[in-house]
Amino acid sequence: MAEGTTSTEEAKGFPPFKTETFPSQFFWLAVTFAFLFVMLWKVAGPRIQGVIASRRGAINSDIAAAQKARGDAENASAAYQTALAGARARANAHAEENRQKLNGEIAKAKAAADAEAQAAMSAAQARIDATQVAARGAVAAAAQEAAIAIVARLTGDTVSNAEAAAAVKES
Amino acid sequence: MNPMEQFTVKPAFGLDHPLFLLGGHPIYFTNQAFLMILVVVLSALFLTFAVKPGRLVPTRGQSMAEVSYEFVANMIHSATGEDGLKYFPFVFTLFIFVLASNFFGMIPGSFTVTSQIAVTLALACLVVGLVIVVGFMKHGLGFLKLFVPHAPWYLLILLIPIEVISFLTRPISLSVRLFANMLAGHTMLAVFGGFVVSLGAAGGLISGLAIAPMLLIVAIMLLELLVAFLQAYVFAILTCIYLNEALHLHDHH
Repeated sequence: MAEGTTSTEEAKGFPPFKTETFPSQFFWLAVTFAFLFVMLWKVAGPRIQGVIASRRGAINSDIAAAQKARGDAENASAAYQTALAGARARANAHAEENRQKLNGEIAKAKAAADAEAQAAMSAAQARIDATQVAARGAVAAAAQEAAIAIVARLTGDTVSNAEAAAAVKES
Repeated sequence: MNPMEQFTVKPAFGLDHPLFLLGGHPIYFTNQAFLMILVVVLSALFLTFAVKPGRLVPTRGQSMAEVSYEFVANMIHSATGEDGLKYFPFVFTLFIFVLASNFFGMIPGSFTVTSQIAVTLALACLVVGLVIVVGFMKHGLGFLKLFVPHAPWYLLILLIPIEVISFLTRPISLSVRLFANMLAGHTMLAVFGGFVVSLGAAGGLISGLAIAPMLLIVAIMLLELLVAFLQAYVFAILTCIYLNEALHLHDHH
């Protein structure tokens, strides 16, 4: 029992309750605990905190960069859509313009053709009218002659042309 | 072999003379002092140099340091909220000191710093002292409301003394819990170690029986490793809970 201690007195009793060791225990505890506190507070703590913060920062900035890239892609896509819509609108406008132009030309050509046809029609009408007048004259002359011949055959009288013409006109 | 002998605080390295006198008390360089210095120096070195600034993918050591840091930070945050983080360095030091002391004590032949009631009582008084200082600084005399629970007046006659006593016994419960756990575990290991030696020395067939306490020691060792961590955790979380009471009194947010 007496082994390992300076005196036999110390070996007796329950070692943790030996108050004569307390001053040394308190002293070394105060020194070592204060040392550890200062080291962790001023050196190790900020170091670990710094690493954790820089990792968090790196992750956040990566996420931000990814979000920015996505925004850019979305903007590019939107710009593409706008450009496409613009091009489509311009193409439609061109087509419309061409259609208008062609329609105008068609209308003009049709008007010209109509006018030509109208002219040809009125010329033909004039010819028809002239022929009608001539025919009507010929019919009157024939009727006059026939009337003179009929009167001469029936009565033997000679009727003048003027009388015959008046008679034909009367009938 | 006395299983209590391992708890003897005695001068180390043959330094039998006191280093100096402190208020009339001789201060020795003891086996416990050596272990405490080892504990704090190695802990400080590890927590400082395991971590390299800017190393975003941690090594095993850095991971351990970061995990212990965040473990304590989360503990404080969940127990006391945002304003408790001011006391992080203190709680972190307390946790690391107790944890490292417990683990260094598990090395056969070394000394368990936390198996001394003087050490655990000093740490517990430090905690309760901090709680009292923080409480009075934050609430002034309103801190005394801590002892007045929400109850009818006739119950308060009974409850206030109970609250006062429970507050005053905190240093004792906090220190004895850690001290007794460490003491019991290491005593048990020494007792079963003694069985192995005496059975082994008996000779013949009886020597073979020594394997039974040997296996038991292995099992208790594993249990003690768990207890070493658990007691450090309990000490730290109770510190957080007491700090929370000092910061927020009885209002349950």
